[in-house]
Formats: sequence, C-alpha cells, structure tokens
Amino acid sequence: MIVAVILALHCVAGALALPRLLRRAGWADRAPRRAIAMWLAACGSVPVSALLAVFAAAVPGPVVGHGLAGWLEICAAMFAGDARPDLARVLAALAVATSVVVWGSCAGGAVLAGARRERARHAEALSLLGRHDNRLGALVVDHDERLAYCVPGRRGQAVITTGALRSLAPEQVAAVLAHERAHLRGRHHLLLAAAETFARACPRVPLFAEARAEVARLVELLADDVAARRHPRAHLAAALVRLATGRAPAAALGAGGETALLRIRRMLSPQPPLGRRERLTGGLTVTLLLAGPATLAAAPGLSALLVHHCHAVLPF
Amino acid sequence: MARGLGELESTIMDHLWATNEPATVRDVLAHLRRERAIAYTTVMTVMDKLHTKGLLRREPVGRAYVYEVVSSKEAYTAEVMRASLAGSGNRAATLVHFLERLTPEEAKALEAALQVYPPGGRDT
Repeated sequence: MIVAVILALHCVAGALALPRLLRRAGWADRAPRRAIAMWLAACGSVPVSALLAVFAAAVPGPVVGHGLAGWLEICAAMFAGDARPDLARVLAALAVATSVVVWGSCAGGAVLAGARRERARHAEALSLLGRHDNRLGALVVDHDERLAYCVPGRRGQAVITTGALRSLAPEQVAAVLAHERAHLRGRHHLLLAAAETFARACPRVPLFAEARAEVARLVELLADDVAARRHPRAHLAAALVRLATGRAPAAALGAGGETALLRIRRMLSPQPPLGRRERLTGGLTVTLLLAGPATLAAAPGLSALLVHHCHAVLPF
Repeated sequence: MARGLGELESTIMDHLWATNEPATVRDVLAHLRRERAIAYTTVMTVMDKLHTKGLLRREPVGRAYVYEVVSSKEAYTAEVMRASLAGSGNRAATLVHFLERLTPEEAKALEAALQVYPPGGRDT
C-alpha cells in the first residue's frame, strides 16, 4: 500500500512540479536531443506511475512475486488464500487502467489522424502550386512571402517560396533546406505528435502543456544543430534573420520571437558541448523518470519472489 | 494513374490560371491536345473533380458547363500558405515551421543580433 501511495504522489507531484524542475536544466539548449528525451520521459512517467499505483493498491506485493515465479503459482497462492487479491479491487484496477490506456490511445490516434488529414490537404494544394526543383531538392512555390518549412510524412518534402529564394544567398538557402531536411529525416513530427498527445489527453496538466511548448522549441534547436554540421553557422544565422524579418507582422499569431533570437544567438556563438556532469545528470534524470516507477512498483513483488522462491539459493 | 491525374489537374489549373477566362471542357481539351493525346472523358472527370474540390466554379451553358477559376493563383497560394502557417491548434503534428512570425520590435532585435557578430566570424 505504501508503494501505491508513493507512486500516486509521484504522479501528482510530477504533473505539477516537474515542469519547474526540468526547466531549470541549464544544459537543455545545448543538448536539445537529450532535453527532448527528458521531457517525453517525464510525460510518460506520469501515466505509467498512475497505472502502477492503481495496480499496487489492488494487488498485494507477494502475489506479484508469485506471479513472477509463474502463473500456476499465483493461482495456487490465490486459492491457498494466504495473499488473496480482492477480486473487486482487481477488477476496479483493471477498469481504471483500461480507461487510462484507451483515453491515451484515443488522444494519440486523434492527433495522428488530424495531422495526416491536414498534411494530405496541404500536399494536394502544393501539388497544384509547387514545382519540384531537383537541384535544391525542394518544392518551390511562387509566393512573395519569405517562407521555408517542411511537410513531414512518408513522402515528406521541404518547401520554400520564391520570395525566400530571392532574399537569400544560395549558401543560405542550402543551410535553410538542410534544417528542413533535418526535421524530415529526424521524424521530428512524431516527437511533436507524442508531446501533443499528452497535452491533448489531459489539457490541464502543467507538465504536459509545458512539454508540448518545450519540445516544439527544442526540435528547432536540434534541426539547427544538424544543419550546422554541414553548413557554416553564420549562413544559417543570416538566413534566420532574413526569413524572420521580411514578413508582415501578424498580431494574431503572437509572440514566440524569443526562440528566433535564441536560435540566432546559438548559431552565432556556439556553446561548448555538455560536460560529463551535465551529461550524467541528463541521463540519470531520464533513467529515473522511466525506470523509477516500475522499479518501485516491482520492489515488493521482487522481494517476495526472492523470499519465497529463492531461499535455497540465497544465504538468508 | 493517380499520379497521372494529379499532374493533369495541375496542368489544367495552370492553363485556366494563365488564361483567366471561362472555358468549357472542349476548350481545355483543345489546348491539351496540342501536346498529347487525351480523351474527352478524362478531362471532363478531372475538371469535375477540381470543381468538387472548390477550385473551379461552373455554370451550365447550353448542354455543357462553362468552368472558371474561383480565385487567382496568387490568392489561392496566399490562402494555402496562410493556412499552413497558422497550423490550427494542431501545430505539432502537421508542419514544422522554420520560424514563427515576429513583431517589428523583435525583427529589429534580430537585425541587431546579426550586426553584433560579423558574419563568417565564428562559424564551424
């Protein structure tokens, strides 16, 4: 029961306090890939610990221990009556777990289906408007506004407008398109979809809302880093400024300029890679978030297994 | 086949956008036949599809329809691009944008940031 309480506490505290805690990781902007893993692991650990808490509350540890030793033994233990799980509680736990899983899958399905529909509609319009430029390896659209973006998916493609092409030098265009291809090749839309799923499933949870915004920001940094491997950072920075400034301001779409500023500063003055301590902290955080709840939930079961079934092997 | 039809759609739209005049299926067919052999029914099917998609409007004149583009190519492009930028609530999964839109003050700050560092100074 204690385990269940701890897991439930982790679930609630994680949903409320983790965003503030994770935001404090000063290394996130220097290692976007690791930071994305951290945010998604944090998101995942909340429903997982909720599920485990429910099960820990319903099924006594010793039964899980027997279960590990084999299904026959769990049945034997149940019928023997020494640690009989309450059938009503088990059923209730199953019902809760099923609804959590179904709810999450529905949210995920809705996100993916909606995205696919929107992409298909856009791709269809592009097939009328754009022409593929083999030299650039991108779809060129006649449009005065300076835009570059990508349409992910199985036949993902980078798109750039003639307005952007006119305002950028060829090497800047190459850097911009490398950024877009980094999105496509890295399947960043799936990372975004994962974050979106959590936020869609539970819109009021601060952790999920924060994770969605952070992952969206971090994939841009990640794509910049990938593009900067092949292209001079200064070209990418200059291209970012050109693209960001030559555009009609749209009040409706609001803020978000800080990310643009940050990206340009990052490209202009590269920061040192992570030190060993920071790498360790990041890795440890992800591991703890992912494996912590499961280990905690399995602990009583495991100890029961050891005590009941391995006494011949163990010295105690 | 689907790809072929898609290509035909864009050829027909480009023709109608370029001429910017109402045209019957027969008019379009005459234009297309200068370059390739193509059946009347094929063109009719594709134009009907473009009408269903909302790209063409049509009016019955005599026994045939006269088709006309709903909006100019520029206007249609602007609309599609705007929709892609707005990305609705589902910005996550659809399009990954290169940059968000900026206010003039932010744009100025960006230009300033670029001025501080001479280009090519500290690249990889």
